[in-house]
Amino acid sequence: MFKSLAAAVAAFGVLTGSAVAETYPSRVITMIVPFSAGGPTDTVSRLVAEAMSKDLGQQIVIENVGGAGGTLGAGRVAKADPDGYTLLLHHIGMSTSATLYRKLPYDTLNAFDYVGLVTDVPMTIVARANFEPADMKALVEYAKANKDKVTYANAGIGAASHLCGMLFMSKIETPLTTVPYKGTGPAMTDLVGGQVDLMCDQTTNTTNQIKGGKIKAYATTTKERLAALPNVPTAAEGGLTDFEVGIWHGVYAPKGTSPEIIAKLSASLQKALKDPNVVKRFADLGTVPSSEADATPEALKAKLTSEIARWAPVIKAAGVYAD
Amino acid sequence: MQINTRDAAAGVIFIVIAGLFALGTQELTIGSALRMGPGYFPLVLAGVLGFIGFVTLFKAVGKAQSPMTGVPWRGLILILGAPVVFGLTLRGLGLAAATALVVAISAYASRRATFVMAASLTVGLTIFCVVVFSYGLGLPVQRIGPWLTF
Amino acid sequence: MEILQNLGLGLATAAEPVNLLFCFIGVLLGTLIGVLPGIGPTATIAMLLPITFGFEPATSLIMLSGIYYGAQYGGSTTAILINLPGESSSAVTAIDGYQMAKQGRAGPALATAALGSFFAGSVATVLIALFAPPLTEVALKFGPAEYFSLLMLGLVASVALAHGSVIKALGMIVIGLLLGLIGSDVNTGAQRFTMGFLELADGVNFVAVAVGVFGIAEILRNLEDESDREVMVKKVTGLFPSKEDFKAAWAPVVRGTALGSILGILPGGGAVLSSFAAYTVEKRISKTPERFGKGAIEGVAAPEAANNAGAQTSFIPMLTLGIPANPVMALMIGAMIIQGIQPGPNVAVEKPELFWGVIASMWIGNLMLVLLNLPLIGLWVRLLTVPYTVLFPAILAFCCIGVYSVNSNAFDLYAVAAFGLLGYVLVKLECEPAPLLLGFVLGPMLEENLRRAMTISRGDPTVFFTRPLSAGLLIVAVLVLVVVFLPSVRKKRDEVFQEE
Repeated sequence: MFKSLAAAVAAFGVLTGSAVAETYPSRVITMIVPFSAGGPTDTVSRLVAEAMSKDLGQQIVIENVGGAGGTLGAGRVAKADPDGYTLLLHHIGMSTSATLYRKLPYDTLNAFDYVGLVTDVPMTIVARANFEPADMKALVEYAKANKDKVTYANAGIGAASHLCGMLFMSKIETPLTTVPYKGTGPAMTDLVGGQVDLMCDQTTNTTNQIKGGKIKAYATTTKERLAALPNVPTAAEGGLTDFEVGIWHGVYAPKGTSPEIIAKLSASLQKALKDPNVVKRFADLGTVPSSEADATPEALKAKLTSEIARWAPVIKAAGVYAD
Repeated sequence: MQINTRDAAAGVIFIVIAGLFALGTQELTIGSALRMGPGYFPLVLAGVLGFIGFVTLFKAVGKAQSPMTGVPWRGLILILGAPVVFGLTLRGLGLAAATALVVAISAYASRRATFVMAASLTVGLTIFCVVVFSYGLGLPVQRIGPWLTF
Repeated sequence: MEILQNLGLGLATAAEPVNLLFCFIGVLLGTLIGVLPGIGPTATIAMLLPITFGFEPATSLIMLSGIYYGAQYGGSTTAILINLPGESSSAVTAIDGYQMAKQGRAGPALATAALGSFFAGSVATVLIALFAPPLTEVALKFGPAEYFSLLMLGLVASVALAHGSVIKALGMIVIGLLLGLIGSDVNTGAQRFTMGFLELADGVNFVAVAVGVFGIAEILRNLEDESDREVMVKKVTGLFPSKEDFKAAWAPVVRGTALGSILGILPGGGAVLSSFAAYTVEKRISKTPERFGKGAIEGVAAPEAANNAGAQTSFIPMLTLGIPANPVMALMIGAMIIQGIQPGPNVAVEKPELFWGVIASMWIGNLMLVLLNLPLIGLWVRLLTVPYTVLFPAILAFCCIGVYSVNSNAFDLYAVAAFGLLGYVLVKLECEPAPLLLGFVLGPMLEENLRRAMTISRGDPTVFFTRPLSAGLLIVAVLVLVVVFLPSVRKKRDEVFQEE
């Protein structure tokens, strides 16, 4: 009954789409964040949602639908009415879950319409404060020489730190001992406490620990050095080429949303990303909002497609799946 | 010889639960004590639970019966049904109607339920919940769901 | 002297009228929402979080902390009044608190909880102000091996939660441990016992289990015999603790505070153990342990004090490192980031007025909590005189909404029904739900830390004995086991536990 009802509603939504678009939005919009409240993605979403609400003249409320690496929330949006009142803000996990989960309840590339990219949060390769290697080159040599001894922490399968770690190990062609945690909090605790050696995580989680001297930073995964961490070299400077990884975030709508509504949302997102408050808070997080050219449906679609292709071989080579 | 059915039943349930979990570890890698797979810890626990189950069963033999109270079947079905109905209808009917259903169903779980009381409870609690959770706390659920809007 | 200066700065910040006002509003809202059954502190804060976005950073954090204590206190109130703990720590309070309520002593139970919490909160606040940085260093010494040993100790000691058969309590703990393992395996990502439901990938929702095995099972038990259930409690004797109550409760409060303060510092969830540990200690050293589980005031005083002290000191890793020790702290960190404050080791240096303001407001918040709740006790107790036929549909409706609000997932409601059935069957067979809940919380932590320690040591099991802290904890655990099973004390233990 659910399915047929939903289908009827969907058909109705498509037929009346253009008429509705003129008055859109006429009620509260729900933005689903597929992670729990308080995390970095939630924070990004709340900042963007607040700025977009101001522009659209309708409140955007955040609904945290956590679970299964973000796939539960994404699945909810995939099945929602494509009326523009249910949106999804998801990060890089949107592309990796396509490979990490062999039985996804939705088709990643065909279940959504795209609104635009939001931001690309850089990553940092960090270690416990008293870890021996002095710089990135020394770290790679040390890791290769002591591959049985070096431990790498991650925040669970599919987490940013897990992806970055897989990429790092495949780049240096050395498998390290991986120590998985449930979430960034406990992983960071053990890194600060010196129980594990290495981690690679978003600046959101690492910048302040680095500045406070609690952990040691080896490199950023960006093209250029970060304004927030001017003393930390890029991975390329340390001899690790093609190691640009970022936790990119995008806004999606269910497939079949009318193009007018998508255009309206895209324009609103672009405005929101220029909001001084958003720019400032993003800078505090160690990241910058996506450019106007990136905050478009085309750019997000291209990003998602290329990222799925990029991660599939890395994940398959590591042989780790989340289901 | 007498058997304390209550303890015996507890033992049997322990054994059944242990069996189910042990069965569930069949598809998992067990590994060894030094290199534990995902199935190792649950399998050990299932073994412990099974053992505890047998001990419970064993100790029930020869122990005096203890009085049992009856099962409120009507209440059982309605009380367990209410959250299921709520889960099935919340997104479709919206917060107001789904809450009303829960209250109405559960009110009849009591043998003393009367129509007037159930109705007034339903109205009162539904208004209270919608005001507190939806207006007050901004619970992101539609008050009137899509099934009721056309 | 620096400490005094800092505290002065903090008090000045916390005592600003606007901060006082929002501290009070936070405490009030937290209490009122937390007292609704099925809604614990995490859900309360998550729901109220957006309200605080418009405020100054200090005001916002002060209000959020207020909501936290308020919600926690409110959760204990429902544990005592209707046997429905809102979080794992108040599961212990429910054991004796609910019995007291049934005997018409809900007033003294609530008052003891309030006063004990206030004392614990005050002590813990001073502790944080004086020793936060060195305590953090100690907490960081706790690696996976130490956590595993600590959790083993907690499990061994938790048998004391049973007031019926020990063997059945053990069974319930193990069932809880097994239920806690449902979901993705952290190490390999393998799905365990999820029967193909993605909704179970992150495990069974705690609130769903608590509402099921405590709330639903209790409603069903009350429906068995409605004749004497016209009202929950016919006569309510005295709202405030008597002189004897005070005499019995003060020492447990002090011991609970000490235990809670220490365990709360550990970022890996030591606070979870604090109330269980406090209850265990009281039952062990009591001259009349047979009263426990039947409405012993010590069984309310100690865990409540421990719980509150632990809640308070769990702010330490959050404030000094910016690392969340539990979901509530994660929410606080999210709030800080949205406010433009970067939580981390530098907060105390860069934003001293905020850091110390929040610490000082903890004390003020606790004071408000006690002032607010003592007069409210009369009101809560009167709730018990509401006819049960009116009360339980309300409990059920709140529980449904509360469970849904955690993950916005209908699946969790089906889990409530399943656990309600399981809980009722087990209650019928005289198996108690509290040990199950403890196992449920500890199960995943126990396994994770065991396997993590083994991974880091590369499969060398001696790591648990060669690390001094870990070895010490294991020795204590063995001692506890010996005490429980040694023949000479066995007879006494049987008196304690087997009063069939």
